[in-house]
Amino acid sequence: MSALAESESLHARTRAMVRAFEQGLSCPESFETLALDIARFQSRHIAGYAGLYAARGIDPRSTTRTIEVPAVPTDAFKLARVFAFGDDQVTALFRTSGTTVGARGTHRFRDVGTYEAASLAFGRSALGLGAPAVTLVIGPPPEEAFDSSLTHMWSTFVRGFGLFDDSDPYFVRNGAIDLRRLKSRIRSLTGRVSALVLGTSFAFVHLLDELGGVALPLPRGSRVVHTGGFKGRSREISPSKLRRALAQAFGVDEPQIVREYGMTELSSQFWESDGPRDGVYVEPPWARVVPVDPQSLLPVSDGDVGIARIEDLANVDSAFAVVAPDMVRRAGRGFELLGRARGAAARGCSIAIDEILASDRP
Amino acid sequence: VNVEARISAVWNLVHAARALYERRASYISEIAFTTGLSPEGVDWGFGCLECDPSAEAVETLASSAETASHVHVILSAGVFVASLRALALARAAAPCVTIRPSSRDPWLTRALVEMAGDRAIRVIGDRDISRIDADCVHVYGRRETIAVVQARARPGMRVHPHGPGLGAGIVTASASLELAARALAADIVTFDQRGCLSPRVVLIEGGGLRAEAFGADLHRELDAWEARIPRGRLSSDEMEQARRWTDALCFGGRVWLAARHAIALGSSATTASLPPAGRHVLLVSIASMKQADEALAPLSHYLTAIGSDDPEGVRAVVSRQVRVSALGQMQRPPLDGPVDRRTKNI
Repeated sequence: MSALAESESLHARTRAMVRAFEQGLSCPESFETLALDIARFQSRHIAGYAGLYAARGIDPRSTTRTIEVPAVPTDAFKLARVFAFGDDQVTALFRTSGTTVGARGTHRFRDVGTYEAASLAFGRSALGLGAPAVTLVIGPPPEEAFDSSLTHMWSTFVRGFGLFDDSDPYFVRNGAIDLRRLKSRIRSLTGRVSALVLGTSFAFVHLLDELGGVALPLPRGSRVVHTGGFKGRSREISPSKLRRALAQAFGVDEPQIVREYGMTELSSQFWESDGPRDGVYVEPPWARVVPVDPQSLLPVSDGDVGIARIEDLANVDSAFAVVAPDMVRRAGRGFELLGRARGAAARGCSIAIDEILASDRP
Repeated sequence: VNVEARISAVWNLVHAARALYERRASYISEIAFTTGLSPEGVDWGFGCLECDPSAEAVETLASSAETASHVHVILSAGVFVASLRALALARAAAPCVTIRPSSRDPWLTRALVEMAGDRAIRVIGDRDISRIDADCVHVYGRRETIAVVQARARPGMRVHPHGPGLGAGIVTASASLELAARALAADIVTFDQRGCLSPRVVLIEGGGLRAEAFGADLHRELDAWEARIPRGRLSSDEMEQARRWTDALCFGGRVWLAARHAIALGSSATTASLPPAGRHVLLVSIASMKQADEALAPLSHYLTAIGSDDPEGVRAVVSRQVRVSALGQMQRPPLDGPVDRRTKNI
């Protein structure tokens, strides 16, 4: 079977899993079976895996459990091509916000349809969206951030969840929030439709600052989604304070403020579980977050903190398993996100990598 | 303070360092415990204590010091011999010096001050800079340490920061790869790369095959050094960072992996590919020396030293703020001023 045909088949199998979830059916096959097939496909068609498997002394053909598949560090997306095909097969390409010195991670896609189907299916479920909603993005439009995976996800939500509407759903232009238009748009909403407001944590902090205590009440049943950290781009607020402030500003109950966790190197996202919205994120059936020991990269005991090994069946043509320097812990039905793994403190005057990266961030 | 008196004070410290070097055996275990270096690594590091500087270097150091009435020195840990140069710079600047050694690495500073017997120098433990009655502070350490000191400094107090940095190696097309690898390995092993002069990136002129051959040579040399001078212990954070770097480079390039060192051949020197300290080295192949400046550009802000088989040739093309030396001599700069020339007046 050609690489292309194999990739098509793997995409179809992942999408079948997504469809089954949408229809409330059981998974057509096990996570492990599909995961191992994807991992073997990637090991054959992505050059970098040879070095990674060799360093672990693992033969990719002999893996029988997903945990044996080496996870690709997110930094590898900055240093190497994590993609099974040539440039002629790239249909979408997302870059990390990264640094000012050209070390941005790149995630290439051959078929972005699987990403979109997975995002919509799990997003709809996690947000409890029944009917279409007026979708408002406190972020730039795709033409201003064409290589941002977050903007792509939002534009997917605009198309997938939104009402047919001629008005522009994006409220950040050239880095500034168009507060006047946002106020006018929200005030024009009638009680018959709900709204879905999407933004990064730092964008919402800027919005709250600009609102200066003025409320912008949303219709009943509306949701507000915030994602990501602050990256020094606004003052920092704890998640609980931000939730409270957003609930107050938009006139909604706190459980209607939902956090999302995703990254450029993935195709799937994780959403704060419904109910108390207590910082526990849940996974879709096609993705898993496994806390692993930072050195051995083996799973830690249940309830212990580890760094995030993320297995994502929608990452068909790149990296099924990714390891990110985010600290996580299994909790209830999902996992808690406990912040970035702290970098090694420098001993002596040799500069620490984290110190360089911190100063490089715009 | 006249220059003669400053020079004399610096020589007094050098003589104390020389005496200390002779008695180094009695300090090795304490320094190994606090720095994390192996005892053999501490013994080797003592070799970088500037016990025999030239008169010209000492005069340069003494005459370039910016005078003050009281200099307070705040030291970082790791490069334990750094206290001699720090004290020399402070004492050349002021008739009164106080020094706060790192709590993780106090031994050599205390011993040096005691042995120098200079009543103008006192070791103090106070961590709050606002309580120090000095008109000038020399602070060595992380950016956040420097920021704290700057924020807490009393009005009128001058703060001379000495931030962290790193070193790079350049192996030219005419170098013997074997000899270059042998010399560079000595620079890497010293202080387990925790110094701001320690090379962490090496440019190899002459193409990919030559860079591969150098990687193999360096791997062999570091193996040999490990038998003589084992790497000390790394913290769990350092181990984690090393793991992350090694895995990313395994995916993105060629890696020579050993239990206590790793060398990777990457496509470029970016901040993402920069290895952590602890005997980890990134090799980058360049076609010609014309590419050297461009290849190091992403790291230029952090670069304090370059070692090369052709120091004169390199000196002609890099910033004058960067110390340039022969390979194998990167950790032994003359005692002619601050190690790091990126910042003025310290």
